[in-house]
Amino acid sequence: MARTSSNFASRLRRMLLMVPWLLESGGSTVPELAARFGVTEDDVVRDLNLVMCCGVPPYGAEQMITVMLDDDGSVLAWKGPFFNRPMRLTPTEGFAVLTAGRALLAVPGADPNGPLATALATLENVLGSTGSVAVELEAPPLLGVVRGAAERGERLGIAYYSAWRDEVTERSIDPYSVFSSDGRWYVSAGDSRSGALRNFRVDRISSAVPTGERFEARSEGLNPERSFYRDATSVDATLDLPASGRWVVEVYEHADVEELDDGRTRVRLAVHGERWLERLLLRVGPEATVETPPALADVGRTAATRLLQKYGAS
Amino acid sequence: MPEDRFERLANLVTYLLDAGERRVQGATFAEIVAAIPGYPEGDDARRRAFERDKKLLRDEDIPLVEDNGRYRIPASDYYLPDLSLSDDEQLALQLAVAAVPLGDGGDAGGAALQKLTIGSELAEFDGRPVGATALADLDEHPLLPVLHSAIRNCSTVTFAHGGSGSQAGGAQRTVEPAMLFFREGHWYLFGFDRLREAERNFRVDRIEGGVEVGEPGGFDRRDVRTPSAAMPKQPWLMGGGDGVEASAIVRVDGVLATKAIADAGPSATVERHDDGSVTLTMPVAQREAFRSWVLGFLDHAEVLGPADLRDDVIGWLRSIATAD
Repeated sequence: MARTSSNFASRLRRMLLMVPWLLESGGSTVPELAARFGVTEDDVVRDLNLVMCCGVPPYGAEQMITVMLDDDGSVLAWKGPFFNRPMRLTPTEGFAVLTAGRALLAVPGADPNGPLATALATLENVLGSTGSVAVELEAPPLLGVVRGAAERGERLGIAYYSAWRDEVTERSIDPYSVFSSDGRWYVSAGDSRSGALRNFRVDRISSAVPTGERFEARSEGLNPERSFYRDATSVDATLDLPASGRWVVEVYEHADVEELDDGRTRVRLAVHGERWLERLLLRVGPEATVETPPALADVGRTAATRLLQKYGAS
Repeated sequence: MPEDRFERLANLVTYLLDAGERRVQGATFAEIVAAIPGYPEGDDARRRAFERDKKLLRDEDIPLVEDNGRYRIPASDYYLPDLSLSDDEQLALQLAVAAVPLGDGGDAGGAALQKLTIGSELAEFDGRPVGATALADLDEHPLLPVLHSAIRNCSTVTFAHGGSGSQAGGAQRTVEPAMLFFREGHWYLFGFDRLREAERNFRVDRIEGGVEVGEPGGFDRRDVRTPSAAMPKQPWLMGGGDGVEASAIVRVDGVLATKAIADAGPSATVERHDDGSVTLTMPVAQREAFRSWVLGFLDHAEVLGPADLRDDVIGWLRSIATAD
């Protein structure tokens, strides 16, 4: 069975939710429903018009859902036989809750015996799938220090390793919020060096010292942009990779991929500094080549020669 | 989807749910097409339209049961039983769904949040309304609910999987699924691979195309594992490589010592030096993965021993330094 996602399920879910919510809340308005369900006001009106047509045969007044939509945007609903069902989760929704809960429990500091843990145990039991979902959010050593400073609104002095320039810089940051994305922890912070809002990877902070200075909490601009800290300029490069280096395509963002005849792959990607490219080329090995730009053609050879000297084997 | 088809489907779901609750035996095709407005004229056209609707419901994970030509959606399958949670537990789940968004408001997580907050104001989290603060995001994949449903039902799953290094069109696998786990930005399915006759991990985003789900009860459930037992966090500890079993000694300077210790995990022993550097002694089962990890440290790490692992790194560097 090939499974494709249509908007049917999500729209049906929304409709099945909207009416009980209306019944429970004693009425609402189109703008409120739009905000609550994350859709446009036009969508709400469209859904409500459809709800008025739904019910259970023979579609008499007893079986229909009655929805009143006033010109002023207020909405009222009366009970129908089906839409009055209790608000129980479907297995798919149960899985979504279980996953979110497991993630939150994996956050350092979560209470392993608290209400979340007991609620998840109940849910797993009902789903009949104990131990079927696990989430790892590996905590870097300084996560607790950074989260503590963010909660207190305290400025931190940090040493930060830039993998792109392969150097450590010292700066002070105002940590606004700490979050995990794609399995890595970031702190969204005001950066004393650039003055801008940046996202720093917590696992690259090698020391973090609370300064005792306070900063004012910011209520906007928190981590939506995902504008990650970058202090090296990017250059477009084209690499030819052997079959064993195809993982590069899966790991790094790239602009183009071309499959070549002999199992090799040509990929165009943004190179964030020479150190970054060195790391990639040393891992892929001797069969990787930099096609463009010519200035980067020798980066792999140069790095390998330098490391050989470190090993006393040049 | 045209509005009239949506209306027909919405009516079909409510009708079949009702059929599942009131009439245990369900409803026949003839009863359904007679009762639900919107089916076309003509037997063949009706049958085709109904078959398309059935497929769509099943593709959407709606549990349509067919029994002796009668159809119904059992409410007990469509909905989970009441969880009877305390107020604190209810709130904890609300916070979890809000803190770990799994998609926009129309998806399963959003719908669950709506159900959990029915009849109440949206809860607050860190002083902000729920939904305003995301603590973590997990890569959502449309196959996850399907795979989880297969785990619950002990149904096999068959799919094509393109592992690392493979060309397009991976091998077809039939797997007895046991666990889904999220690690370093990716979801993995752990289960017993019938083709390889061994336990394997599959990255979910590398499943090519759809998944064919077998009949419920297709295998006996296996013992619960932890993700670490299913797949070591350190790739150089995984078996199936070139079979090397060695205890590697690596010196890492102070710049990246913290990262190296964290990467190496609990199976490594750590000796700290006054200049901030560390010497790690760590088991290695897969030479290539170990070399790749060490070279990621550039000048900050050096393999001190044993000689064959050190020579392997030197040989590798030499081949790069002298490549055409």
